[in-house]
Amino acid sequence: MTATEESEDTETRYDFGGDEFVYVELSAAMSLPVHFRSLAITRRLGEEAIAGVEEICPSNASYMVRVDPDRLHPRDLVRELQRIESEVGDLSDDLTVATRIVDVPIMLNDPWTHEVLMKFRDRHQDPTGTDLDYGARINGYDSTEAFIDALAASPYLVTMMGFVPGLPWCFQLVPRERQVEVPKYVRPRTETPERAFGFGGAFAVIYPVKGAGGYQLFGSAPAPIFDGEQRLPDFAENDSVVFFKHGDVINYRRVDRDEYDDVRAQVDAGTWRYSYRELEFSPSRFLADPDGTNASMKEVLYG
Amino acid sequence: MGSHTITSRTPGVFYHRPSPDAEPYVTQGASVSEGDTVGLVEVMKTFHEVKADAAGTVSKILVENEDEVTIGQDLVELET
Amino acid sequence: MSVIVKDPGLETTVQDTGRLGYYSIGFPPSGALDSFAYHVGNALVGNEPGAAALEAVYLGPTLEFTQDTVIAVTGAEIPAFIDGEEIPIWESVAVSSGSVLSFGQLRAGARPYVAVAGGIDVPLYYGSRSTYTLVGIGGFEGRALRAGDELAIGSEARDPRAGRRVDPGDVPEHPATAEVHLLVGLHSYRLTPESLERFTGTDWKVTPDANRVGYRFRGAELEFVPREQPFGAGSDPANVTDCGYPVGSVQVPGGVEPIVLLQDAVTGGGYATLGTVVSVDRAKLAQTKTGDKVRFVPVDLDGALAVRQERLAALDRIRSALA
Repeated sequence: MTATEESEDTETRYDFGGDEFVYVELSAAMSLPVHFRSLAITRRLGEEAIAGVEEICPSNASYMVRVDPDRLHPRDLVRELQRIESEVGDLSDDLTVATRIVDVPIMLNDPWTHEVLMKFRDRHQDPTGTDLDYGARINGYDSTEAFIDALAASPYLVTMMGFVPGLPWCFQLVPRERQVEVPKYVRPRTETPERAFGFGGAFAVIYPVKGAGGYQLFGSAPAPIFDGEQRLPDFAENDSVVFFKHGDVINYRRVDRDEYDDVRAQVDAGTWRYSYRELEFSPSRFLADPDGTNASMKEVLYG
Repeated sequence: MGSHTITSRTPGVFYHRPSPDAEPYVTQGASVSEGDTVGLVEVMKTFHEVKADAAGTVSKILVENEDEVTIGQDLVELET
Repeated sequence: MSVIVKDPGLETTVQDTGRLGYYSIGFPPSGALDSFAYHVGNALVGNEPGAAALEAVYLGPTLEFTQDTVIAVTGAEIPAFIDGEEIPIWESVAVSSGSVLSFGQLRAGARPYVAVAGGIDVPLYYGSRSTYTLVGIGGFEGRALRAGDELAIGSEARDPRAGRRVDPGDVPEHPATAEVHLLVGLHSYRLTPESLERFTGTDWKVTPDANRVGYRFRGAELEFVPREQPFGAGSDPANVTDCGYPVGSVQVPGGVEPIVLLQDAVTGGGYATLGTVVSVDRAKLAQTKTGDKVRFVPVDLDGALAVRQERLAALDRIRSALA
């Protein structure tokens, strides 16, 4: 991490989203230090279990709290949040977050998103190439293959859940100068395949269900991230229709068509399980040594 | 001979044809039976078929293709 | 004991107070858009407050009841009939086994609600019976009703009784231009001051793209303040670093057609939001239809809370009167 990234202007903004939400923006720009601070604040807020705090929604460089204004005046809530923010202060070295690192197979440059993205070239910044070609070019990569390597080289942190149920917003755990940033489509597509791996702004996502979408399409995940009927054991055993949680670390592992098909077959047979390991994530250790921390997390996952 | 006017039951965008390349459902002079589709109204991203609620001959189509219509608006006039 | 759907109408769904508590994993609340009409309907038929009811839009459904029961139609101003005989709305009505409820042409408003003594008995999904069609969960098979569906009716009505009636003075009106209160803020600084003034000064027309997910409006163009975009936001001036969207928040993709997010909306994203409609006023918005006009009246937090208290107090008073 560079010194400027650590010390950039992060004046926190508190505001009201109508009568039932308080919106807190730690910074207009996304960065890992900002996100870690938001993570520390929202975890602390959860532990304090303040009456009238109905729900805490962490997001990338901000968070939202749903409040019952009949029990807790939103202005009083803001005072509580300001207190917690000052108590959390700058990240202390001993802050760790209990999380897990998850192996997520992904096929980049896959035929399914390719077919869809070719249909919507008229809505794209660059109608002549593919989304991957475009991403590679504007991020300064010599080749699409080198860009694909970078996308899958380092793990991502789930910095926000939502848009639709179960969708993880993932921010790559690399210093700013290595982070990929791409615009969204000029006009959103009316179609996105289920389980598409997309990228917009500085965030990678997997679309849980098919639908409209504006993110650049880079690949497809063979395994579902949303299971409405809780058919697969990962979902049934956790009694949840979504797999990912805010704060998860995801390692997107490139797979070829054979392995993609193999995972699909396991999903169809109802036997698919994600491979993951629990671990303690230390933001300060990560910021001091991103690549070393990533390597040791992958070691925990793959042994 | 009387006349009857088919009105819209929903607000939305009125279409003469099932798809941009297709023939219109009805044109002036066409004869329709009760229950025949005479147009589409698109609202909330769904298409609702406008059905003739009487039989007759189309004497006038009162709205342009892709006009926004309101509930109760006159759409198609029939000679019955 | 059940209700058989003879004709589903345009998009009729099972709804209750909503699926609260899962916003942070991406579940919007769903639930009745016009919460006032929904709650009063349950009070009329003597249900517990959270019983599931039917929400229709523009076209009422045609429903057959397989047993004697008590129902109430609330919400939009629409002629309702039992076996062809017009029945009063905002009033509980006894229906007998084999009776058919049908609707005429909507006169005002947009969404009629049908409450049935005992409530619509579909399985709870994440704590709610509300339908969320986008991912196909909740309600009846996760979708809008179709002809031939048979919905079970719950047996636990607290105090079903025909003849309960809402005081005519308490029945909401559906004015030509609906006024909803807006707490300006969030990313309102992204719009030029002139554009913000234009937003609250315009009578916005409801487009055909207006459903449970959100309402899209037409009426004026809004401009963003030029800036160098912060890292993570993407290059479009309408974009911010992706964040949570409050239910009822207003966004302006491209600066042309503002969208108010409603109960089935996405829970977050990267569009700048200029403020949030006060929660109780979403009920008013729910009764506007394509072609109607809406005006956003700016309020501060105290104003928003006052509007809320007033509306909730009125609902409490009406419930007590019907008890």
